[in-house]
Amino acid sequence: MQIWSWHGFFTYLGSPYIFRGALITVYMTAVSMVMGFLLGLLIAVMKRSQRRLLSWPARFYVWFFRGTPLLVQLVVIYAGLPKLDIRLSVMACSIIGLTLNEAAYLAEIIRAGLNAVPTGQIAAARALGLSERQIAWRIAFPQAFRLIIPPLGNSVNGLLKTTSVTSVISMEELMQRSQILVQDQFMVLELFSVAALYYLLMTTAWDFLQRRIEHYAERPYRRQQQSAAVDPIELPVTTQDAR
Amino acid sequence: MITLDNVAKSYGAFQVLKGCSAEIGRGEVVVVCGPSGSGKSTLIKCINALETFEGGQIWVDGMAVRSAQTDHSALRAKAGMVFQSFELFSHLSILDNIMLAPRLVQKRAKDEIREHAKTLLRRVGLESHADKYPIALSGGQQQRAAIARALAMKPDVMLFDEPTSALDPEMVQEVLQVMTELAREGMTMMCVTHEMGFARQVATRILFVDAGEIVDDCPAADFFAGRCSVRAQAFLRFEADHPG
Repeated sequence: MQIWSWHGFFTYLGSPYIFRGALITVYMTAVSMVMGFLLGLLIAVMKRSQRRLLSWPARFYVWFFRGTPLLVQLVVIYAGLPKLDIRLSVMACSIIGLTLNEAAYLAEIIRAGLNAVPTGQIAAARALGLSERQIAWRIAFPQAFRLIIPPLGNSVNGLLKTTSVTSVISMEELMQRSQILVQDQFMVLELFSVAALYYLLMTTAWDFLQRRIEHYAERPYRRQQQSAAVDPIELPVTTQDAR
Repeated sequence: MITLDNVAKSYGAFQVLKGCSAEIGRGEVVVVCGPSGSGKSTLIKCINALETFEGGQIWVDGMAVRSAQTDHSALRAKAGMVFQSFELFSHLSILDNIMLAPRLVQKRAKDEIREHAKTLLRRVGLESHADKYPIALSGGQQQRAAIARALAMKPDVMLFDEPTSALDPEMVQEVLQVMTELAREGMTMMCVTHEMGFARQVATRILFVDAGEIVDDCPAADFFAGRCSVRAQAFLRFEADHPG
């Protein structure tokens, strides 16, 4: 048996079966991230609340979902829900598990962002008569979001790879499909190299997307008037925005 | 316009305000001065309920501040506030900063708000900066924008909490000038400040606060002529020796 087969490597690289597995990975990441973010936002706001009726359940949630392995959570959802007569597809179980787990981590990131919003601006909004709800949506959330883009980017990057854990409940994403082919054709290195390459492609694409988002969110914080003269390092980025 | 009736507040065992009473009529310009930590900022923030207080009552245009029935949003629309460190919303352009509250709180027509905002920006000399973000403006410009933002709510009274304390000396004048014009136009104003020159020129009355009490409440002319308490005289001498 040869050590490395280029033929095998390129065959798998062009395989629609593996490619679709990668698409499933992207899909799971996107859906779990969006839903996890919304749930995380709710938990972060609850955890910051003065009312224990709100903050304690949120604290419990974060404690529980960060304190147990995702693998266990997935198996419990996959094996447990049918016993309650709730029958869901493997995909649904995977997304529920990933969402619940990710929300706990995102809640802490969002909380850090909300804590970093200048309290003076919150007071100013109050002095203008804005309601607490208006302050949250118009002042606190937009400013917190800008601050947490880098750690959010970490989470997306991590989640792209963490989705592979759903293979334990037989979710056919990129990793599981690679393993299926390994069991059949024994080209371990070639297959996993292809999988690694796909993960790299996906995380690289996210890096680009994140930079675009960051660039957009930083717009209000660039000194447009002086950017070109004062900060030559930022020149390529800022000149296209400078008016 | 504003009635302070025996306002008292404590942080634990420390009494910040020990029963402050005063009456501020429409069109008056009242300067609140006194040493640091005397409670002047706390007092002015009680008026628009940014600070709570446990004793006494404040009336703003007939509305009781310390009452469960009071609509704080309506109260705050009556009393515009300008802060020491400007507190413009850093993610919004200057124009959006000014238009936000009239739109969300007063639900006025967007076109009317925009026209009003532009008029105000012209008034504070910032019409060419409408689309910039706060970070692109100097401290003095930011504070003038913050004044315009407060005026956009068409308030009955303006509260200033050390509006020039965070500014470089050369920017203090441009802000004081806007405030002076505002006073000349008849706006009711209450202003916590160390700018005794401004107080001398513009104030109709001085409240001198020391250790949580209103020690002096007298016409500005009397105050600066030395017809005030011994403590205030000592304060005035100190301020004269340490301008700015």
